Amino acid sequence: MKIDSITFEVIASALSSTADEMAITVMRSAYSPVVRDTMDYSTALCDHLGRVAAQGLTLAVQLGAFPEAMRHLIEQFGDDMEDGDIFLFNDPYGSGGQHLPDIYVIKPVFIGGRLEGYAATMAHHCDVGGITPGSTAMHATEIFQEGLRLPIVKLYERGVPASPIFRIIEKNTRQPVQVLGDLKAQVSACASGERGLREIYRRYSAEAVRFYVNELHDRAEALMRAEIAALPDGEYSFVDYLDGLGENPEPLAIAVRVVIAGDEITVDMSGTSKQVPAGINCPIAMSNSAAYCAIRSIAAADIPNCDGYMRPIKVVAPEGTIVNPVLPGACAARGVIGYRVFDAIMGALAKILPDRVIAGSEGGPTLVSIGGRDGERRFVLTEVMVNNWGARASLDGPEGISNPAANLSNQPIELIEAEFPLQVVEYGFVPDTGGAGKFRGGLAFVREWRLLGEEAVFTVRSDRRLHPPYGIGAGKPGSPSSNAILSGDRRQELPPMPMAALGLKARDSFRHVGAGGGGYGDPFERDPAMVLDDVLDEKVTPEGARRDYGVAVDLAAGTVDESETARLRGSAGTRRGQERR
Amino acid sequence: MGEPTLCRLGIDIGGTFTDLVLMRGDASILIRKVPSTTDDYCRGILLGLDALLAEAGVAPSDLELVVHGTTVATNTILEGRGARTALITTRGFRDVLEMRRLRIPQLYNLQYTPPKPLVPRRLRFEVAERMGPRGEIWETLDETSVFDAADRLAAADVEAVAIALINSYANPEHERRVAAILASRLSNRLHVTLSSDLVPEIREYERTSTAVVNSYIGPTVEAYLSSLMDRLRAAGVRAPLRVMQSNGGVMGAAAASAKPAYIIESGPAAGVIAAAAIARRIGLPNVISLDMGGTTAKTALIENGEAAKTTEYEVGAGINLSSRLVKGGGHSVKLPFIDVSEIGAGGGSIVSVDSIGALKVGPRSAGAVPGPAGYGQGGTDATFTDAMIVLGYINPRAIAGGSVALRPDLAEAAVAGIAKQLGLSTIAAAWGIYAVAAANMTRAVKAVSTYRGRDPRDFALIAFGGNGPTVAIEIARTLGMRQVIVPPAPGVLSAFGLLCADTEYVASRTLFRRLANLGLEELEDVLAALSREARADLARDGVTEEESELVRGVELRYSGQAYELGVALPSGQINLEGIAAAFHAEHERTYGHCSPGAPVDLISVKVIGRSPAGVSAGALSSLNGHGPRAAKEEIRITHFGPDLRPQDTPILTRPALRGGSRRGPLVIEEYDATSVIPPDCTASVDLSGNLIIGIEQPQ
Repeated sequence: MKIDSITFEVIASALSSTADEMAITVMRSAYSPVVRDTMDYSTALCDHLGRVAAQGLTLAVQLGAFPEAMRHLIEQFGDDMEDGDIFLFNDPYGSGGQHLPDIYVIKPVFIGGRLEGYAATMAHHCDVGGITPGSTAMHATEIFQEGLRLPIVKLYERGVPASPIFRIIEKNTRQPVQVLGDLKAQVSACASGERGLREIYRRYSAEAVRFYVNELHDRAEALMRAEIAALPDGEYSFVDYLDGLGENPEPLAIAVRVVIAGDEITVDMSGTSKQVPAGINCPIAMSNSAAYCAIRSIAAADIPNCDGYMRPIKVVAPEGTIVNPVLPGACAARGVIGYRVFDAIMGALAKILPDRVIAGSEGGPTLVSIGGRDGERRFVLTEVMVNNWGARASLDGPEGISNPAANLSNQPIELIEAEFPLQVVEYGFVPDTGGAGKFRGGLAFVREWRLLGEEAVFTVRSDRRLHPPYGIGAGKPGSPSSNAILSGDRRQELPPMPMAALGLKARDSFRHVGAGGGGYGDPFERDPAMVLDDVLDEKVTPEGARRDYGVAVDLAAGTVDESETARLRGSAGTRRGQERR
Repeated sequence: MGEPTLCRLGIDIGGTFTDLVLMRGDASILIRKVPSTTDDYCRGILLGLDALLAEAGVAPSDLELVVHGTTVATNTILEGRGARTALITTRGFRDVLEMRRLRIPQLYNLQYTPPKPLVPRRLRFEVAERMGPRGEIWETLDETSVFDAADRLAAADVEAVAIALINSYANPEHERRVAAILASRLSNRLHVTLSSDLVPEIREYERTSTAVVNSYIGPTVEAYLSSLMDRLRAAGVRAPLRVMQSNGGVMGAAAASAKPAYIIESGPAAGVIAAAAIARRIGLPNVISLDMGGTTAKTALIENGEAAKTTEYEVGAGINLSSRLVKGGGHSVKLPFIDVSEIGAGGGSIVSVDSIGALKVGPRSAGAVPGPAGYGQGGTDATFTDAMIVLGYINPRAIAGGSVALRPDLAEAAVAGIAKQLGLSTIAAAWGIYAVAAANMTRAVKAVSTYRGRDPRDFALIAFGGNGPTVAIEIARTLGMRQVIVPPAPGVLSAFGLLCADTEYVASRTLFRRLANLGLEELEDVLAALSREARADLARDGVTEEESELVRGVELRYSGQAYELGVALPSGQINLEGIAAAFHAEHERTYGHCSPGAPVDLISVKVIGRSPAGVSAGALSSLNGHGPRAAKEEIRITHFGPDLRPQDTPILTRPALRGGSRRGPLVIEEYDATSVIPPDCTASVDLSGNLIIGIEQPQ
């Protein structure tokens, strides 16, 4: 078949608009806040071989997880699929799942009696059982404590719902209405994906669609290979650390060695810490995905988000490590490691692509689940919180933005207060927290919840306290995170990753401060006018400006004190190179 | 020839042209297109007005109503020229405006930076107070903190202020008290917006941002409308001035000055309203409108004669790439908008070949200057218009009734450059440009139809704007639609829409209550209060109770969902079971599933007070035959895909189709647009002058 670039563009555009339409269907008809407001879900349209052909504009870091899920689905059910079947699973061990709350719902699409593709969705469900509300506890030591494990099963068989499976799910979650409602939203999105694919086949022959989808993969692959070939061959290493578990944390290493050879790239994570008896191990599906996402993000060209671009990227993650755990590794809070893989790859690539990477960001979303009883009603609030990026070579790191590997939203405070016995006491930026640099890292955020009901328990997954987000060049790291329970006048500091569910009594608060983004370049080279702007906006205090940037501000006049600044920066010239603070 | 009865005037300002439509007392219509005077839009308006009134033989004092569609609100934001604005908010929530919803419209772009907030952090002041979600006072307002804020506002020399406190939708008391204190301490020239007054609905970021947008554009819009009013008065016009809102209703100039956030999408709304009027007139309740001009194409869904609305909108995000997932590129405005999906494809859209060798049309535009290569004004980039010249669709000598001469050789050279990159013939590349532009716009049509659970095959397509009729049939064909309608005077349809629009005010309130626990009496009380509010707004524009009607509706969702669906209430007696049943049905229709057993929350109540314009789209039939009436049939060579062989194609004017339907290929040339009818379609003209095109679709 001869390639016609017009048909190519029309088919590619139809595929991606269909994947977007699936994402909109989930967003608008989902029930739980974590799906509907935070938008922790993904959609994809796969070709007849199960390769991702288009992704809905949702979570970047989840796109690369579909291949593992599709591989398992096809291995196990490749010769047992019929029109009207819909598959469901979440098991990280043997099904390509990521952690138990992430449930895949995938529908094979048959056209003219032949399997032509798959409409695939994945959503983070608000509760699948396990030891704490929200099913994202870090203190589980085995997956068996984390909730309902679903191997690949048919949720619908030839269009008929498998009611026993719905009933098993219903009985294994604290939030049956929301979970079943969200599953319906996923099924609905699969139906719209199927409809979209049928429309494409109505206009073009099956052979033409297959041909052009192949072409899409091939072009994406060629573009990615060209990007990689332009990089200098060599090995670039970086080690980033998680703070570690509980009260006496031992650092956990994410060791990344990026090997560039010709037009292929290998992300080798040998040397990463062994898996731990806590729910932070990151199953291979997400580790792969984080690596694909990082490499995709440093590419200059606009590459189609399909399977083809992943082909020249190889991921090595030894079994039994925190980036490729084996049974019975607990993994409910695995995101903290998945997002760190992204950061570590950025750190390695900073050596050869200083203009394209970003300094360390806040460390992946902070995950908080608060659950309890409000009169007769059980409630669970799950919040996935993001806020800032590290600085770039010629731009500050923004604050008030989703993680670069995710595209998550915050939940409206007023909706939380209207639906839960909780008050959000504060939500905002914290001054002097962005890593100082010629370009500043994004500010940290604070969020504080006060319990208005009688009793609740909560879990928190956070990080970046002892190993704050790194700066690049002479850029300083961002500020560390903190967690505390406020009870009257008492303040109880919590470790970054408490290994237990914690109790809240009426009027107690949980206060979380995220980490600030890392800075980029020498802070004493920052344009004093930019420092002044930050001071006037109270993003940097006058003391911070002197200390971190060597800039003196005349607050009354709203100007930079030039002579004092020259003095501060001059005297620092001799100090520079030594370690300040 | 002057009519003794009163006349109405519609004025629609676009980036390139200002269109004026005058309807005389006998419903006959005159139109005038004048260049927009971007340094001072009023000058162009007055020039056009003088000429139009002279032609019509109408005195300025004979005008009974002037309705205006304006881009002043949007431009103020796009150009960052709004007022120096402050924000007063609850202690602990100074950054709600800047945090926004965090999401960004692009993946994998590490150099992305979010838009700057319209109020910088230094001008965001906190006051000590706290409302609870049910309107209960958790912390009383500390007035000394308001005095402090007032002093800082005065020192900062701001021109406008927005007041947006947490949970004020449930109880506006604190916001009102803050406003009263500011009024007592500051100059009364300050443009003040209370979030609880403008949009008393739940979700703090969206409500805050809406209030901020309103304040930011307030002084500019107010100055513009008052200057226009003064100059109309000086010219002898005594009629009231009303302004088109984004939701397709019109409001008085005073209301628009106080609540300018309502008029952000003034221009696009007018075209949709005209399309809806035409659809009703020809008995087609379900249509999709396609308005393609020089830089963008806009689509909207019209169902049962009414344009679909949304309250999720962002201003300043540039061109919306048609997907509601793409959020975060602009500033949220949570007010009713006609749900217009926009895409960067217009006559001036520049053609390029991207890194994977795919052909792209837009979103960059050659604009009015230099314009398409074929305009011979120095442009060398190939544009959509150049491809239309190459395919023989657009008259190669001149457009706009001969006023713009064309250079087909330059158009062809530009398209040939693209063809070379693709390894195609020039004709094949031109067809590719046409097909890709149509595919882009197909996405915009899907965004208003399939994305909301509607099947485009159940709709006809109404095409207008300078380029809509050129490309509409290809889009319709892709989506399986069978009918395309091109109304008379497609190039000035938006200005006509201004005259069809009802005067309209929306009053709304968030209740956020489980439907089953809500007393019918309570709902009726709220409806009655909102009805009084809407009637009072109408009364300020001189509308009496007899002239007005009220439309009541509620927004509902299953308990736990985040997005509401609107359900209209019947005009008489209401009952809660009926409301629930209507909601289940709407959920089933939109998402393909519903849960009749699940609890339903009633989120908000709305009453729309409306005074019908009383203008029928039939008035447009007086324009039938407007433009050149040359009876002689010309023949031109055109090319249609996929075979692209040259075909002799009759070039007609609309009246030539009066005799009956004709089969394509045909090109209908008019003063302000060109309709292209491919070989397997038929075209006819109905009694109102609409061009009706039937498309053969494979079964």
